[in-house]
Amino acid sequence: MEQTSQLLEYLKEVYDPELGVNIVDLGLVYEVKEEPERIQVRMTLTTPGCPLHDTIVGAVKWVLQKNTDKTDIDVQVVWEPQWSPQLMSREAKEMLGYF
Amino acid sequence: MAQPKSELKKGKGAKAMSRLPFLFIITGIVGFVMYHAFSLLSLTGWLGDELRGPEGWFHAHLFVLGWATMLAMGAVYQLIHVILQTNIYSTVLGYCHYFLFTVGATGMLIGFIRTDVIWIAGSATLALSGILLFGLNMGITLYRASIWNPVTISAACACLYLVLTGLSGMLMGLNFAFGDWNGLHQRLFGAHIWMGTLGWFGMLITGFSYKMLPMFYLSHDFSIRLQKMVLVLWNAAVITGVIAFLTGIQGGLLWFALLLLTGALICYVYHLEQIQEKRHKSNPGPGIRWTVYVSRALLVYSMALLIYSAQDVELLLDSRVVLLTGWVYLGGWVSLTILGYASKIVPFLWWTHKYGKLAGRPGTPLMAGMLSEKRINHGILAMVAASLLLVSGILINLAEVMMVGGTLLSMISIVYISNIALVFRR
Repeated sequence: MEQTSQLLEYLKEVYDPELGVNIVDLGLVYEVKEEPERIQVRMTLTTPGCPLHDTIVGAVKWVLQKNTDKTDIDVQVVWEPQWSPQLMSREAKEMLGYF
Repeated sequence: MAQPKSELKKGKGAKAMSRLPFLFIITGIVGFVMYHAFSLLSLTGWLGDELRGPEGWFHAHLFVLGWATMLAMGAVYQLIHVILQTNIYSTVLGYCHYFLFTVGATGMLIGFIRTDVIWIAGSATLALSGILLFGLNMGITLYRASIWNPVTISAACACLYLVLTGLSGMLMGLNFAFGDWNGLHQRLFGAHIWMGTLGWFGMLITGFSYKMLPMFYLSHDFSIRLQKMVLVLWNAAVITGVIAFLTGIQGGLLWFALLLLTGALICYVYHLEQIQEKRHKSNPGPGIRWTVYVSRALLVYSMALLIYSAQDVELLLDSRVVLLTGWVYLGGWVSLTILGYASKIVPFLWWTHKYGKLAGRPGTPLMAGMLSEKRINHGILAMVAASLLLVSGILINLAEVMMVGGTLLSMISIVYISNIALVFRR
C-alpha cells in the first residue's frame, strides 16, 4: 500500500501540459503496482485520441525510471472505464476553476 | 534500455507525421501575411469590389487557398488522429498533396497577376491533383477507421465538398478555355463558391468544433443530438444552394437554403452552449472563446439576412449583399475561427515537437505558457473591431470607411499572426 502511495507521489510530477494539473489529481491513473521486475501502470486520458497520448505515457515512464530501480515500465492506456470529471481531486477541480 | 523495434518505428512515423501539419500551417501563415501585405500594398482598393477579374481572383484565391484552406488542411492532418484514433492512411500521399497543392496554388496566383490562361490552367491542374490526393487519403483513412459519428461524417462531407469545389473550378477553367457552355459558366461559378465556402469550410469547422471545444472546455456527458441536426440541416443547405445555382432557379431556392443554414446555425450555436454548460474547466483560452462568439455573430447575421431578403428573395443576389455576406462569412466566421483555433494548435504542435519528450522534467514549460492569452484576446478583439468597421463601410457604401477598416484589419492581422509565429522561437 505504502509502495503504491509512493509511486503515485512520483506520478504527481507528470503534468497534463494543456491543463497544468498532474495526472494523479486529474484521476487519470487507475492502477499502479510494483512487481519484482517491473512496474505496471493502468491509466486513461481525458478524451480518446488525446493528442498528448505519447507525451504523457513517455513522461510516466521517465518519472518512474528516474525514481525507482526499475527500467521496465509497462504503461497501459485504457478507455474502460471511461474517464469522468468526477475522478478529479478537489485540488484539480479548484485549479481548473471548477468550483 | 534498448527500445523495442516496433516502438522505434512508431516513434519515427509519428515524428514524420508531425512535420506534415507543420508544413501546411507554416505555409498557411505565410499565405495569411502575404494576403494582408498585398491588401495593404494595393491600398485595400479591391476590398469593396466584386470578386471578378484577375485582381479579385488573385486576392480571393490567396485568401481561400493560400491561407484558409492551407491551414485547415494542416489542422486536418494534425487532428485526424484525435477524431479517429488512427494516423492518416499515407504520409507520403500527404507530402505529395502538399507539394502539388502549394505549387499549384502559387502558380495560379502568378497566373492571375500575369493574366495568363496557360499558367492558370496548368497550375490549377496541379492544385486540383493535390486536392484529389487529399480527398483520396482522407477517404481511405475514414473508410479504414469506420468510426461514424457527427465529427467524422462532417469531416468526410467537408472533404467531399472540397473535391467537388476543385472539380467545378476545373470545369469552369475548361469552359473558359474552350468556351462551349456560356450559360453554364455562371451557374458553375455560383456552385463552386457555395460548395467551397459553405460545404468545405462550414462542415469542417462545425465538425471539428464538436471535438475541439469539449477538449478545451473539458466537457463531458453532453447530448450529441443537435450535432446530428446540424449535420443534416447544413448538408441540406449546401445541396439546396448547389441545386439553386446549377438549375438557375436561384432566388427562392437560395432563400430556402439560407433558411436551412439558419436552422443549422441555431442548432449549432445552441449546441455550443450545451458543451459550455457541461464544462469542467473555466478558461479554455481566449482563442476558443472567440470561436463561440463569432458563431453567435454569424447566426445573428444569417437571421437578419433571412428577414431582410424575405421581402424580395432576389436581394440575396444583389452584389453588395453578396460582398457583405462574403466578408461576414469568410473574413469573419471562417477566418476568425481558424485564427482562434490556431492559437491552440500552433503552440501545441511546437510544444510537442520541442518539449514532448521532456514532459514531467523540471523546467519544462507548460503549453499554456507558450503564448500570451492577453495578446490573443486583444488581437482577436481588435480584428473583430476592424472587421466591423470594414463591413459597416460596405453596408453604407462608403469607400473611405472600407479603406480604414481594411487597412486596420490587415495591420492588426499581421501583428496577430506574427505573435502566434513567435511561438516557434520558444
